[in-house]
Amino acid sequence: MTGQIAIIGAGPSGCFLAQALLKAQPDLRVDLIDRLPVPYGLVRYGVAADHQGTKAVTRQFARLFERQGARFFGNVGVGTAVTLDDLRGAYDAVVLAAGLSADRALGIPGGDLPGVHGAGKLTRALYEHPEAEALPELGPNPLIVGNGNVAIDLLRLLAKSPEEFDGSDLGAGPSDWLAGSGIEEITITGRSPAAAAKFDTVMIKELGKLTGVTIRVIGAGDSDDPEAQKKLAALTALEGGDGPRRITFRFGLTPLAVEGEGQAAAVRFDSAEGEEVLACTSVLTAIGFDTPGDLPRDALLQDEQDGGLAAGLYATGWFRRGPRGTIPDNRADAKALADRILGELTPDPAKPGAAILQGLDAITDYDGWCRIDSAETANPPPGRCRAKITTREAMLTLARQEDMQ
Amino acid sequence: MNIQVLYGTETGNAEMLAEDIAAELEAEHEVTATNLSDFDPADFDRGTLYLLVCSTYGDGELPASAQPFAEKMEAEQPDLTGVHFGIFGMGDSEYEETFNGGPATLAELMIARGATQLGERIAHDASGADMAEDLAFPWAEEIVGMASDALGQAA
Ligand SMILES: Cc1cc2nc3c(=O)[nH]c(=O)nc-3n(C[C@H](O)[C@H](O)[C@H](O)COP(=O)(O)OP(=O)(O)OC[C@H]3O[C@@H](n4cnc5c(N)ncnc54)[C@H](O)[C@@H]3O)c2cc1C
Ligand SMILES: Cc1cc2nc3c(=O)[nH]c(=O)nc-3n(C[C@H](O)[C@H](O)[C@H](O)COP(=O)(O)O)c2cc1C
Repeated sequence: MTGQIAIIGAGPSGCFLAQALLKAQPDLRVDLIDRLPVPYGLVRYGVAADHQGTKAVTRQFARLFERQGARFFGNVGVGTAVTLDDLRGAYDAVVLAAGLSADRALGIPGGDLPGVHGAGKLTRALYEHPEAEALPELGPNPLIVGNGNVAIDLLRLLAKSPEEFDGSDLGAGPSDWLAGSGIEEITITGRSPAAAAKFDTVMIKELGKLTGVTIRVIGAGDSDDPEAQKKLAALTALEGGDGPRRITFRFGLTPLAVEGEGQAAAVRFDSAEGEEVLACTSVLTAIGFDTPGDLPRDALLQDEQDGGLAAGLYATGWFRRGPRGTIPDNRADAKALADRILGELTPDPAKPGAAILQGLDAITDYDGWCRIDSAETANPPPGRCRAKITTREAMLTLARQEDMQ
Repeated sequence: MNIQVLYGTETGNAEMLAEDIAAELEAEHEVTATNLSDFDPADFDRGTLYLLVCSTYGDGELPASAQPFAEKMEAEQPDLTGVHFGIFGMGDSEYEETFNGGPATLAELMIARGATQLGERIAHDASGADMAEDLAFPWAEEIVGMASDALGQAA
């Protein structure tokens, strides 16, 4: 059986889906379409620069293009450069694997004051996403709202000293920004009690390796649940240290308002003991992600069932499930969806497939990405494994330089 | 020789490596690669060499695809005396305390049921400089060499 499948988004969920489809049916035509000139989504622009081991998953994805025959069409925004309906007309099946890249808003008074920054916006800037805004001034006392793994990532990055980024792919600009941040104290707050905090215990244990910090954990409480006990034990084990940067963990704090005159200066919380105001110089929110708006996610997902949205239209990964779950969760999701798609696929040889992308400007392909990748890894600065190309223009230029390498 | 590469994985790195190992050994041996989630401990065969490739998850635990196998080992308590295996671990030294915990657990499960481990357990570090296959191919050759003595010519 042949058939043409377009996957929108070349992040981990799109790549895992393509992998599962092509493992089951090697003659399928599977095209991954991404709005960026480069593949791999949040593995490149979300997973922490100092977690290179996690990024090694891209070696599998490379094989997808190199040996399994998947094709990459980069720099093609669906909803902007091409419509979803056009794709549905051109392919036997279309899968939305576009992730969720907008920060969920705090939704409280003062939530949009200057000095309030979403984790997505901040990590995109740290990891040199081509559409990132400039890195902001955080002041000496940033306060983090949220305690999932993304919040812990942010905390760790802000708390690390420059030497602790050895071996990472943190860029020169972000490295200088972190080194010069002047951060004295970071407060990290969670709505739930520590026992129910969303971070993984391993993420907490990793903080124990930080050298330049002194850590305080206030009100961690206790629990009867063995998993929660491990989490609490890991947290309390963090306490102490003699580094200059102070980190304070606080729990059971629900944000009510961001306060400040034209600039975030404090957050007012509700807690079991009543209201409490914590002063800060900036507020970093890590409370989840949303759709940026180029694809009408809510409408599309209305009748969603196990990834199926409509005839020949599917969704997977963060786009389907919401901003929860790690890279392996997307793999499980993708495997199940691949089986479903293969069971339902009715190939129509008259469909044009990727031919409908032909008129578009400046599409990049997998070879183009390889040229960008080689340029990035050829001469990284000391202590770094990669120097990212940071603008779309420079990426496109490199991608099209066929005789370079 | 009959060789079965059994992998336990969560993001697929161990699966990819298992397939590479199988491809590498295929010219001279009968090799299959199987996910531990699809393998029943009752099917262990004394004439087959088992190459285990397993990653680590959570807080030093077995990856998702190895967990049903571990449960079945517990429930079935098979006698694996005379079964020979080698084990290659995948982990990440960023997780300092629990580095390569999954494969260590898997090896213990096998040994507790009487199986014989050939060679050392190798620990690949995703944060290190080595490619998994650069460590795994020489390891596999070495285990196969040890197995031809252990399993005898009959195998
Ligand atoms: C800061 C951060 C750190 C994380 N760290 C880890 C970690 O250490 N370990 C871990 O396991 N998980 C981590 N995660 C979670 C992990 O990144 C996600 O589970 C995973 O990336 C979701 O995959 P996805 O493919 O659904 O989405 P994404 O990775 O977001 O990929 C979506 C892709 O779709 C593209 N796209 C979006 N809109 C369009 C459009 N309209 N047209 C065409 N293309 C489009 C995007 O450019 C992107 O390439 C982290 C997440 C974040 C935010
Ligand atoms: C959420 C998560 C937790 C992990 N925990 C550990 C750990 O405790 N110890 C370890 O050595 N490696 C750990 N790792 C690293 C993986 O074992 C390593 O990336 C491996 O190459 C993954 O192989 P797989 O794709 O076959 O699952 C972890 C990775 C992730 C993403």
